[in-house]
Amino acid sequence: MNLAQQLLNGIVLGHAYALLAIGWTVLLGVARLVNFGHGQMYMLGAFVTWYAGARLGMPYLAAGAMAITAGMVIGYIMQRIMLRLTLKQDLVTIMIVTLGFGYVLQGAAGLVFGSTGQILETPLSRIDIYWGDLWFTWQDIAIIVVAMLFFAALKYVIEHTGVGRIARMVAEDPALALLSGINVKRVYLGVFAFEGAAVALAAVMVAPRTPILTSMGFDEVIITFAVVVLGGIGSIAGSYFAGLALGLFTAFFGAFVAPAYTTAAAFAVLIAVLAIRPRGFAAAPGSR
Amino acid sequence: MPTPLRLLLIAGVAVAGLFLPALAGGSPAIYSAAVLIAIFAVMSYGLDTIVSDLGEVSLAHTVFFGIGAYVTALLSVRLDLGPIATLLGTIVAALIAAGVLGLITLRLREFVFSLVTYAVAVVAITVASSWSFIGGSDGLRGIPPFELPLIGFTAKDDAALWPVAYVLLLATLYLMHAFRRSRLGHAAIMVHLNPRLATMSGIAPQRTRLQIFLLSAPITAAAGWLYAYQRAFVSADVLETYFLILMLTAVVLVGRRRLLAPLIGVIIIQVQEKFFPFGGYVDKIILGSILILVLAYLPNGLAGLIAPLVAAGRRAVARKAAPSPSNTEA
Repeated sequence: MNLAQQLLNGIVLGHAYALLAIGWTVLLGVARLVNFGHGQMYMLGAFVTWYAGARLGMPYLAAGAMAITAGMVIGYIMQRIMLRLTLKQDLVTIMIVTLGFGYVLQGAAGLVFGSTGQILETPLSRIDIYWGDLWFTWQDIAIIVVAMLFFAALKYVIEHTGVGRIARMVAEDPALALLSGINVKRVYLGVFAFEGAAVALAAVMVAPRTPILTSMGFDEVIITFAVVVLGGIGSIAGSYFAGLALGLFTAFFGAFVAPAYTTAAAFAVLIAVLAIRPRGFAAAPGSR
Repeated sequence: MPTPLRLLLIAGVAVAGLFLPALAGGSPAIYSAAVLIAIFAVMSYGLDTIVSDLGEVSLAHTVFFGIGAYVTALLSVRLDLGPIATLLGTIVAALIAAGVLGLITLRLREFVFSLVTYAVAVVAITVASSWSFIGGSDGLRGIPPFELPLIGFTAKDDAALWPVAYVLLLATLYLMHAFRRSRLGHAAIMVHLNPRLATMSGIAPQRTRLQIFLLSAPITAAAGWLYAYQRAFVSADVLETYFLILMLTAVVLVGRRRLLAPLIGVIIIQVQEKFFPFGGYVDKIILGSILILVLAYLPNGLAGLIAPLVAAGRRAVARKAAPSPSNTEA
């Protein structure tokens, strides 16, 4: 039945969105930073995975690990270059710089991987499962499982471990954190490396669902933004449920209204939320 | 205060500028580059008011550029209207769009403002490439040449279009100059640097923001208007990120709140891309890297890099001229 299939699609899509947004959630919640190159980093993660698998013949897990490492390195380098701006909390400039990084990544990916679209196949995406009238792949199951595990682990780390305490403290008051002997620079570098790794993980899991192009990445930023804002900035559990809700909305809107305008519709929802509670953004950094 | 001599000098330079492409060889490639430089500079000045004066980053200016191009294409292809009418249509459409966007984003700041404007830009691309009324992914073709029958002017190529582009550029420069000296220009700076003081001195920050938006959008849209005539067709690629990155880089490259800075920025970028190209992908890397490096390491742009050198040069000259330490220059 179509409704059940869309419900299933929505749940898979929702977990994909949540996974996509997790790096940003931490970035914004802990460091009060943004990354407009997020979508291009997703694209790069997908292409590194594809290249390692299809061209270098590496198994999916190893290719994924390579993509995540690449994402981490890129995130670290980005923050290294922006560190002065970050310490000044010059958000406006940071935004433009990250936008520039996205543009450079797009050019570099085009140079290395060419302009043709590719299909990222994994051992899991090749196995179809039919269950009654429903159709899905093992990749879809893997997305849901990985997203759940990742969110649970992250929530635990942020709330119950020493690393999480330090991150929360930096988010709350960078100056005070510095005074109490925390290496704030290292936290910022770490957070950005985490963002790079997290978005690469999202690419490794989610990109096999659709053809990949070096010019993609814009929709991903908007979806990420919507998830992070709807979930309440910096809230980990909030992001998870917001991703799920947005996934269901997109699946049903795409199936029953107009597939070409799903991004526009998701954005309209976002604007509506913004209009209702614009103050939501003024929430203290790091508040959950 | 502009003295008559200064005015005369400015007028002289302005008139001389018209003949620059001819002096540079006058080949079709030169004229085409000159027209594009003028168009992209006008486009960048629209964004300059938001970034340099208001201190926010609008990522939706490609939309205003696109509105100018699409309105011009629709009015000229479907309704056979001439350039004056399409320019008026462009300005009206840009004002409406800026009004709506301005009201939505009135209370948003910093990255939320930028993200919403970015989302608008992304949505605009998806709408432009799927809405058949405005040509969908094929775009709109067959835009007639720029023609003003009243004075018997027809621009069939870029060389003929150059005077129009140049006049548009001069008009924009004048507008920017006048804006920065106006009450609104001062209000914008005050809202930017000290919102509380602005409120206390009777300036409504939100009204100022809206006004700047309404000033800025038609400038960028006017560039789109001329771009439609220059290309003779319009498609969703007028909304591409390239234009956004180009605008942003042009605005920050030379230095903010300097009248000629965006123009010089566009000239540097366009000369590289048109006369020293390395292929699309490498040019992307170059443009993006310039943007990153300037912002990360040259907060005052190239001017900030050059100014100390100029000052040092002046000091050296002054020392040579007057070796005694008691010279009055400081």
